[in-house]
Amino acid sequence: MTPLLDIAGLSSGYGHQVVIRELSLQVEEGRLVALIGPNGHGKSTLLRTLSGLVRCRGGSIGFAGQPIDRLRPDEIVKAGVVHIPQGDLLFPEMTVLENLRMGAYLLRDGGEEAKRLAEVFGLLPKLEERYDQTASTLSGGERRMVGIGRGLMAGGRLMMFDEPSLGLAPIVIDQIYAVLEKLRQAGRTILVVEENAMRIAEMADEMHLLDNGEFAWSGSGEAFLSHPEIMATYLGG
Amino acid sequence: MDVAVQIIASGLTLGAMYAVSTVGLALVYGALNMLNMSHGALLALGGYVCFYAMTTLGLPAVLGMALAMAVCAAAGALIYHLAARPMLRAGNFETRIFIATIGIAVVIENAILRLFGPQPVAQPLKLPGAAILDGVHVPYQNMFILAVAVVMMGGVAFLLNRTKTGRAIRATAQNRDAAQLMGIRVGRVYAQVLAISGALAAVAGILVSSLSGLLPNMGGDPMLKAFVICVVAGLGNVYGAVAAAVALGILESVIQYLLGVQYSFAILLLIVIAVLIWKPSGLFGKQQVVRL
Repeated sequence: MTPLLDIAGLSSGYGHQVVIRELSLQVEEGRLVALIGPNGHGKSTLLRTLSGLVRCRGGSIGFAGQPIDRLRPDEIVKAGVVHIPQGDLLFPEMTVLENLRMGAYLLRDGGEEAKRLAEVFGLLPKLEERYDQTASTLSGGERRMVGIGRGLMAGGRLMMFDEPSLGLAPIVIDQIYAVLEKLRQAGRTILVVEENAMRIAEMADEMHLLDNGEFAWSGSGEAFLSHPEIMATYLGG
Repeated sequence: MDVAVQIIASGLTLGAMYAVSTVGLALVYGALNMLNMSHGALLALGGYVCFYAMTTLGLPAVLGMALAMAVCAAAGALIYHLAARPMLRAGNFETRIFIATIGIAVVIENAILRLFGPQPVAQPLKLPGAAILDGVHVPYQNMFILAVAVVMMGGVAFLLNRTKTGRAIRATAQNRDAAQLMGIRVGRVYAQVLAISGALAAVAGILVSSLSGLLPNMGGDPMLKAFVICVVAGLGNVYGAVAAAVALGILESVIQYLLGVQYSFAILLLIVIAVLIWKPSGLFGKQQVVRL
């Protein structure tokens, strides 16, 4: 079976700085793959390169059998790659509902949009309560939920989450992870970048440790949990 | 009472013209962080195209205006593709595009000078006559200007809030990266914003020249005032720009009545300085944030 996402020898960076060096990674349909590793070692850059916000320097990215490494970000979204970015990047002057509807920007079918909105409100009921509130007035946890809900509105065959639990209170982290778990059970393909390695290891099918732009360790979630020395070596305990 | 009606009538006319030219400038700044210094030249271009269409081509006023809007919209899109797009990829976009658009303004103004000559000409689009309101003469021309401005502002508000294109423009202005991740093609949005801004500049140019006549450099003064209004409102804030334009228009005509024309611009600038000391990011602006 060909993987849904097929990254081969990918290099990327900003200006003169190379952040990712000849990285290869396959993500098969229906799997939850986690990228872990210390800060500033290329995890976010990898996602930004996959979604086209950063141009790749070399190598190739295949998605559903088609090359996407030369496409514009809007074309990559159209192909089915949805990126839920770090720091939420909401539209601050729009309401919660307007933000969610922006997620379905490419959707031409109003009925499908309404169906997805109902699903998002089902997963994140807080958003339904706050639907008319301007995004810039929300709390950090609510903002994260809007960012995730907006990504869910886009649908997509591959969903990429960048640090979904970063900077949140434990109770909100639980809610976000419950959403991830439901998506996983529904058979969605998920690529998640996470600082909180122990937490994501409990549900990840595969984990890859990114250190200095290269993979230093790869294995299943269980394997990660049974090798505490990996954590100690790369993530400072 | 008569005087008050007179002042309000002329102030609203001024404010309406300022609003049309300012909104175009504010839209472009809001969406691209681009201060379009060729906006004034586009005003002149629009005025001359309307003049040419109505005199040489003998077209009716409505077609003259439509042609002017189309030509300036195309010019705006061209400015995006030839100047802004290549510069967006390099760093320091705001400074580079500022200087580049000064150059574009020179090119447009000199092309007009070459084609139509340096002598002032009258804009044929004029409504003769006046209405008598409470014993006060209000020229139909002023009412026409106000009506056109209201239609334009309504059109912009409708576009931004009720259409898919408008949603894409607002999203791009509020967060460019996020807009791309929603599947918005930001390059196309930028070209659309410059085209809309160009069409608004054409209308503003026609309105201004219908009162004061056509000159190749006629865009300079309205452009300067539009810039002042943008700064007072908070750069890039479209609705704030409309409110500030009307307020400054009325203020200007009050000052002209009380102190004389020669003081109006100086006092306007004094007020602007006072506003900026009090609120450095503009009346409706948010600190260092540019949004629609």
